[in-house]
Amino acid sequence: MTVYETDIPGVGRKFELELADGSRAVVLHHHDGRREVFRRPDPEADSEQIFDLPAEQARQLGSILTGAHFESVDATDLSVPLGDAIIEWVDVPADSPLVGETVLGANVRGETGATVVALQRGTDTFTNPGGDVLLEPDDVLVALGTRAEQRSLARLVEGATEFGGSTDGPGAAGGPTGDDAGEGSADAESGDPTDDGE
Amino acid sequence: MAATDLLFQAGVVFAVLAVGGAVADRYGQSVIPAYIVAGIVVGPNVPQVFGYSFVLVETREFIDLLAELGIVFLLFFIGLEFNLERLAASRDRILGAGAIDVGINGTVGAAIGFALGFSALESLFLAGIVAISSSAIITKTLIDLGWIADPESETILGLLVFEDVVVAVYLAVVTAVALGGNGGGVGDVAGVDLASLDPTGGVGASIAVSLAVLLALVALAVWGTPLLERYLATDSNEQFLVRVVAAAAGVAGLALVLGVSEAVAAFFLGAAFGATDHAHRIERVITSERDLYAAVFFFAIGLETDPALVAGVLEPLAALAAITAATKLVSGYWGGRTYGLSERRSRRVAVAMVARGEFSLVIAALAARPEAGLPNGDTIAALAVGYVLVMGVLGTVLMGSSEALERRFFERRVDGG
Repeated sequence: MTVYETDIPGVGRKFELELADGSRAVVLHHHDGRREVFRRPDPEADSEQIFDLPAEQARQLGSILTGAHFESVDATDLSVPLGDAIIEWVDVPADSPLVGETVLGANVRGETGATVVALQRGTDTFTNPGGDVLLEPDDVLVALGTRAEQRSLARLVEGATEFGGSTDGPGAAGGPTGDDAGEGSADAESGDPTDDGE
Repeated sequence: MAATDLLFQAGVVFAVLAVGGAVADRYGQSVIPAYIVAGIVVGPNVPQVFGYSFVLVETREFIDLLAELGIVFLLFFIGLEFNLERLAASRDRILGAGAIDVGINGTVGAAIGFALGFSALESLFLAGIVAISSSAIITKTLIDLGWIADPESETILGLLVFEDVVVAVYLAVVTAVALGGNGGGVGDVAGVDLASLDPTGGVGASIAVSLAVLLALVALAVWGTPLLERYLATDSNEQFLVRVVAAAAGVAGLALVLGVSEAVAAFFLGAAFGATDHAHRIERVITSERDLYAAVFFFAIGLETDPALVAGVLEPLAALAAITAATKLVSGYWGGRTYGLSERRSRRVAVAMVARGEFSLVIAALAARPEAGLPNGDTIAALAVGYVLVMGVLGTVLMGSSEALERRFFERRVDGG
C-alpha cells in the first residue's frame, strides 16, 4: 500500500493512503496540530470529511488505530495498583553481605519487610527467587515493598550494618535519628533504580 | 495628547477589526474584504452622518508601521513556505499552467490599463493587480470546503506558489522602476529620513543596489543555512520569536532604506529561513503575528480609501471585474487541463482562482506611493480596493456555490469551461 505525502503551502502536510476497496484515506496535518481525515471513494469523487480533530484527540485516535493505546501513556496519570508498595531495582554490590547467600537464607523479607519478586543477572531473570539461587555481585534484586521497606532492603544489601540500619526490622517507618547519615547515603545509592522503577 | 490616546486608538482599530471579522465569518466570507470595509467605515474619508463624524481613527503612524509589518510578514511567510524543490518536482505541469495563468491575466490586465488611458507603467501595475490571485482567501476556502483533500487543490496551490514567484520578481522590478532613484520604498515609515542619507542617486544606481541586495539574500538562502540555524538555535520560544521578528523587520527595513522592495526582501529572507530545520517552528510562532499585522494592513488600505473615489471608477471597475473574472475562469480551466486534471476538477481550479486579495493590494499600495509619481496612482488604488472587495467576495461565493453551478450548467451541457 502506497502512502502519498504532499506539502500543502500555508496549511501543512497531506497524506493519502490507498485502501483495499480502491478508495483513499486522506489525512491532513495542519501546522497548528489540527488533523482532518477524509475518505475519497474513487478518484473522481469528492473527499468526504470523516474527522476534524484537535492534536490531542488525533494522537489518541492514532494510538487506538495502531493498537498501542494504553491509559498510562500519560505519565502524570500513572497509577500502579499496589497500594503503598512500590517496585524498586536494587543493585547487589560486590562487597554486599548478601553475596553467596540466597534470598530465603538471608531472610530478606523477615529483615526488611520487602519481597524480592525477581532477580536479574545479566540477561537472565529468576522470578520469585527463594532458597535456590545464590546471589552474585552485580545481581539486581527486583523488590516490592513500601518506601520504608525499600530503604531497609537497600541498607541490608549495601551491608550498612556499621550504621546499625539492618536491625530496623520489618516495615520500620524510619531509623533512629542517629541513622540519618547512613540512611541518606543508602537512599542516594538506590535513588536511580527507584526512578527507573517508577 | 497624541501619546495618551494612542493606546485607545489601537484598541478601536482592533475592536473594529474584530467586529468586521465576526461579520465575515458569519456569512462564510474571507475576512480580507471585511477588514477593508472596516477601515473605510471608521476612516477619515467617510462623510458625516446626521452631523456626527464616524472618524474614529486618525493617528496614522502606528497603523502605517503595523501595516508595513503586515506586508513584511505576509511575504516572509510565503517565502518560508516556498520550496523550490517542490516547485521543480512538478515543474513541467505547473510551469505550463502557471504561464497560462499569468500570461492571459497579465496581458488582459495591461490591455485594460491601456484602454483606460493609463501609461505603460500604470498598465503594468494593473496587470499585476489583476494577474495575482489571493493565496490567503483561496487557501482558507479550500480548507473550509474540504477541497484541500482533493487533487485539484494541488494544482490550485501550485499555481499560487507559481504566482508567488512571479510576484517576487514583479515587485522587485516594479519597485526599482517606479521608485527609481528616490530611495523610498513602499513604506514611508522608515524610508524618509534614512533614504535622504542614501548616497546612491539615479535609477541605474538604484537598480544596481536592488540587484545587489536581492543577490545577497539569494546567496543567504543558498549558502547561509548553517548561519541561520545558529542564529535561531535557542530553546526559548520567546527568544526565538524575537530573533525571527528582528531578522524579518531588520532585513526588510534595511532593504526599504536602500530603495529595494521590502516585500521582496521579506520573501527571500523567508525562503532562506525555510531552508533551515527551524522552518516549521517559525511558522508556528509567527502565524499569529502575521495574521494580526496583515489585518492592520487591510484595515490601513481601507483607511486610505476614499469611497467617493471608488464610486467614481464604478464603470471601469465593473468592466475590470467582469472581464478578469472570466479570464481567470478560462486560464484556470485550461491550466487544470494542462496539469492533467479531469474536466470537472479543472472547473474547480477555474472558480478557485477568481479571488484576488492581498497581492493586488500590496501592488496597489506601491502604485499609490507619492514617490512613484503616477498621475493615475490614486485611481489605480481606488480601482484595486474596489476590485479586491468584489473579487474577494465573488471568488469565495463561486467556490461555495460551485456544486450548485455544476448541477445547473453541466447537466445539460456536457462540456464547457
